[in-house]
Amino acid sequence: MDDIVVSLKNITKRFPGIVANDRVNFELRRGEVHTLLGENGAGKSTLMNILDGIYQPDEGEIYINGKLVEIKNPSDAMRLGIGMIHQHFMLVETLTVLENVILGLAEQGLYINKKEISKRIEEVSDRYNLCINPSTKIWQLSVGEQQRVEIIKTLFRGAQILILDEPTAVLTPQEVEVSFEIYKQMIEEGKSIIFISHKLNEVMDISDRITVLRKGKYIGTVDTDKITEKELATMMVGREVLFRLERKPHERKDKVLQVSNLKALDDKGLLALNGLNLEVFSGEIYGLAGVAGNGQKILSEAIAGLRKVIDGKITIAGKDLTNASASEIFAHGVSYIPPDRLKMGLVPNLSSVDNAILRRYYKPPIYNRHLINYSEAERYAKKLIEEYDIMVPREDAPVKLLSGGNMQKLLLAREISEQPKLLIAVHPTRGLDVGATEFVRRELLKQRDNGVAVLLISEDLDEIFMISDRIGVIYEGQILDTFDIKEAKIEKVGLLMAGMKSEREFSEQVCSTV
Amino acid sequence: MISFKGINPLAAYKALLIGAFGSTYTFSETIVAATPLILIATGLVLVFNMKFWNIGAYGQYIMGAIFSSYFALNVSPSVSPWILLPVMCVASIIGGAIWALIPAFMKLVWEVNEVISTLLLNYIALYILKYLMYGPWRNPTSHGFPLSKMFAANAQLPRIWPHTRVHLGIVFAIIIVFLMYFIIKKTRFGYETRVIGENSTAARYAGISIFRNTMLAMAISGGIAGLAGMAQVSGVIHLLQLEINPNYGYTAIIVAWLASLNPIAVLLVSILLGGIEAGGSQIQMMMHVPYGIVGVIESSILFALLGGEIFKTFRVKFRRRG
Amino acid sequence: MTSQSSIFVTLSSTAVRSGTILLLPTLGEIFAERAGILNLGIEGMMIIGALFGFIAGFVTKNPYIGFVVGMIAGGLSALIHAFVSITLRGNQIVSGLALTIFGLGITNFFGQPWINRKFTIPVKDYAIPGLSKIPYVGQIFFHQDLFVYFSYVLMIAMWFMLFKTKLGVHLRAVGENARASDAMGVNVNRNRYFWTFFGGLLAGGGGAYLTLVYAPFWLDGITAGRGWIALALVIFAMWNPLYAFIGAYLFGGIDALQFQLQASGTTIPSSLLNMQPYLLTLIVVVAATIVLRKRHIGTPRELGEPYDREER
Repeated sequence: MDDIVVSLKNITKRFPGIVANDRVNFELRRGEVHTLLGENGAGKSTLMNILDGIYQPDEGEIYINGKLVEIKNPSDAMRLGIGMIHQHFMLVETLTVLENVILGLAEQGLYINKKEISKRIEEVSDRYNLCINPSTKIWQLSVGEQQRVEIIKTLFRGAQILILDEPTAVLTPQEVEVSFEIYKQMIEEGKSIIFISHKLNEVMDISDRITVLRKGKYIGTVDTDKITEKELATMMVGREVLFRLERKPHERKDKVLQVSNLKALDDKGLLALNGLNLEVFSGEIYGLAGVAGNGQKILSEAIAGLRKVIDGKITIAGKDLTNASASEIFAHGVSYIPPDRLKMGLVPNLSSVDNAILRRYYKPPIYNRHLINYSEAERYAKKLIEEYDIMVPREDAPVKLLSGGNMQKLLLAREISEQPKLLIAVHPTRGLDVGATEFVRRELLKQRDNGVAVLLISEDLDEIFMISDRIGVIYEGQILDTFDIKEAKIEKVGLLMAGMKSEREFSEQVCSTV
Repeated sequence: MISFKGINPLAAYKALLIGAFGSTYTFSETIVAATPLILIATGLVLVFNMKFWNIGAYGQYIMGAIFSSYFALNVSPSVSPWILLPVMCVASIIGGAIWALIPAFMKLVWEVNEVISTLLLNYIALYILKYLMYGPWRNPTSHGFPLSKMFAANAQLPRIWPHTRVHLGIVFAIIIVFLMYFIIKKTRFGYETRVIGENSTAARYAGISIFRNTMLAMAISGGIAGLAGMAQVSGVIHLLQLEINPNYGYTAIIVAWLASLNPIAVLLVSILLGGIEAGGSQIQMMMHVPYGIVGVIESSILFALLGGEIFKTFRVKFRRRG
Repeated sequence: MTSQSSIFVTLSSTAVRSGTILLLPTLGEIFAERAGILNLGIEGMMIIGALFGFIAGFVTKNPYIGFVVGMIAGGLSALIHAFVSITLRGNQIVSGLALTIFGLGITNFFGQPWINRKFTIPVKDYAIPGLSKIPYVGQIFFHQDLFVYFSYVLMIAMWFMLFKTKLGVHLRAVGENARASDAMGVNVNRNRYFWTFFGGLLAGGGGAYLTLVYAPFWLDGITAGRGWIALALVIFAMWNPLYAFIGAYLFGGIDALQFQLQASGTTIPSSLLNMQPYLLTLIVVVAATIVLRKRHIGTPRELGEPYDREER
């Protein structure tokens, strides 16, 4: 029997400026977990979006169960039994779970029979122990729960081939283990799974086979039990990778940031920070771990002066700056690398020059006799570009044309050049390739060595453990505990991220959150 | 479309062209129509670049005309024009600015959709004008027509081209165009408006005041529209009337858009659309083609341009791919 | 019935008819906006429906045919906006304005020979058995013409469709998150095209009702900004069809009252009376916006944003 369910042959996909997939081959056998491994930007998601019908390949062939097919849209993919769980969830936040599940389903009639569908959703939910209430609105769910809704959606559609795009990135270590159990159960039922990741330890743990992509090209396919993590890393990056960053012993000095009993609301008017306390000292990196949506973003905005707080106090270098304006806080030595560089830190349609001067267009020498001196501005931009080795087509080209890594370098360069006392870095390496990631982490360590207080907020636990001096865990708007790096254990931190003190509590939790 | 009504379309287009650019006089009428368009569109360029959708130039123009007319109608004819005209200019700018600041304030403080508020304010301004023209400001000898008294000579903007209606306003307009170009490209205010327009979150992040900049930009935009209203009553018709062609306020939106929000391009596009407006009046008179044809032509150009923008993007893709 | 209460009833039932002119376009725009398409061309679509509905009614001597033709004319004009903003992904604000300018221009062009002609065929009122016997309410709401009843049925049907059927889920989803809808196999563009067209149908119908029943004559620019008021009423209705009638009848009432006052020979200048609906709309929009913000009810999230599947 031919047990190859998916076969992609010589797939090529071009986007403006890049070849995202260059004659890529991929094969999935029935009942296996096959990992697609590669750095950010290697073309994994593009390839899977082609399989799911969202993108059309420029060249190449797709075979499903041995038959040549054309997948024009996600409905075609669904009919072929393919279901994808995207990294950015495909959920409509204002709709309920039930409404999201039936979205686009062909079978149902016009009228929604809520009772019947609810029952069916609950059946699926119970079978895999997913604990989802069909009448909840999506925005009321945690990130982990939203992912389970995505799983229900694909199962409800009877998907036999599941594509999971970096599903573990948003989960705590314990949640990852639970989700691996669910995947195993699916495999036992005869389903096949394509697992996208760039985390080697997970990949080794879950997959039967691994296909590696690098810069849009197919590198090779290997059996998991015949390869080591180190060899895989070399395949993925194209050179030997150092896992450890060199760190000088840390010298903790003055208290730069003190946050006490902070309370703030999110955009929906719900309490997002609930009496939070935090201290960051000069010469240290304070890593704040937590599952997305537990108040990290609100906290960073409150410190940077972008969100009003309703109670509590923020002191920077001894000065009370609670509810001060963003410019005032910046003037007191706070630089900020926001979570989404395209949304906040940069102005995508403006040039590198305009972006480089965002923090100093009103200071001499760039601001001169009531006008902006653009030759001076250009000189400054060029200096940053050279010093930080940023690749730009031209200084006057819009920054949206830069690669993610180069955008982040520009942003980082601009913020560091202001010689801050406090540097807030939120997800500073998200979406970057290994080279840029290393660069950013090294730069953060350099700042720490120079005596800057660094507040690192990240969902990537490995990153937090790699460069922090102290680690705090945020849960539901409070910091549950803080550890010195020498005493911090990843399991303990993971449990706290889920709001629990012990393993036992975790096993009891699963269905109680609903 | 013109042929639909049994009129030779070629003859009509020819008449339109002749009506716009055919003779010295008709060309001068094109300049007369272009003057308010240049002014208003230049102001719109500033706020459209900030993604503030000021659809209220119509009302701001009317308020400018009303405010300046107040002085024209109430100040003694013996006062020097060197005093009266500047006063009228300032009054019109204030009138237009007030009418623009209301929706700006509503948007900034309460997040009221500015498209709706500026549009409603257009109608309110129109009815204020109507009230004045049928009520207190009506010329008692106008036989019931909605007109004010003629402005005295000291309240008339000088004509600068003999035997035509081209007036000093065109000089203001050209100066303002270059001034605006300079403001957008070189000043701190211009930089801040660009950042706000392209990414208001980034503007907040950098500590740029959205409130102050938007209020200022709207005051400028409305003020210029008001000035255009003053130029029209004081330079062209020499009185205030119901028919002061406030539709320039909408046409100017088309101008600003066709000019890709570039002040220098506004100058050229205004002359083109000014030509269509002037030529439209011409064919209306000569061939009895309704004036509405102007709106149809203008909107068709605009649809074509909007649709054309996608090809710009495609071309970029294509070029970068190859 | 005393003469005062009979004036009230007459006025109110006029208010319902006047409100119907606004209710239809408001309902249409609610659906278009829910699907993510902002159409500022309501005024243009209404006046196109008003003229072509009037002409068709006049020629066929049948108001119902006129109404249907008006709807179709409005719907077709909406397709221009749909094509520019969905297929060509142009700026929706500017495209909608262009549609209004287009509508005002084209009706001025073709409307010339019809100016001040009256549509003389009366539209019959029907009393709904039972319901029309309710004191006041029956006289006001259930002694109306078929167009008004059509708007009642439509409003309820639209509410049901939006919240209880799969079509409604799709409609809401494409306006909230086009990418997710697309990934789930919902045809985003087809949905958006259809609901934009639907919005045009109703705007055209509102215009035709104005020239065939309410006025009933043709005058250049007869819609007089009603399209913009309808746009504001969408916010007032919080994008819910069921609330649309409140604003529509309120403004219908003001309209009716203002005519009543003018007819009774008031000393208030007509220009100031005519201004009231716009002033009041402005106040209502400000109030509604403040309330919506307090209650965290927002516009459909992707309103006015074009969708490009291959954009990354």
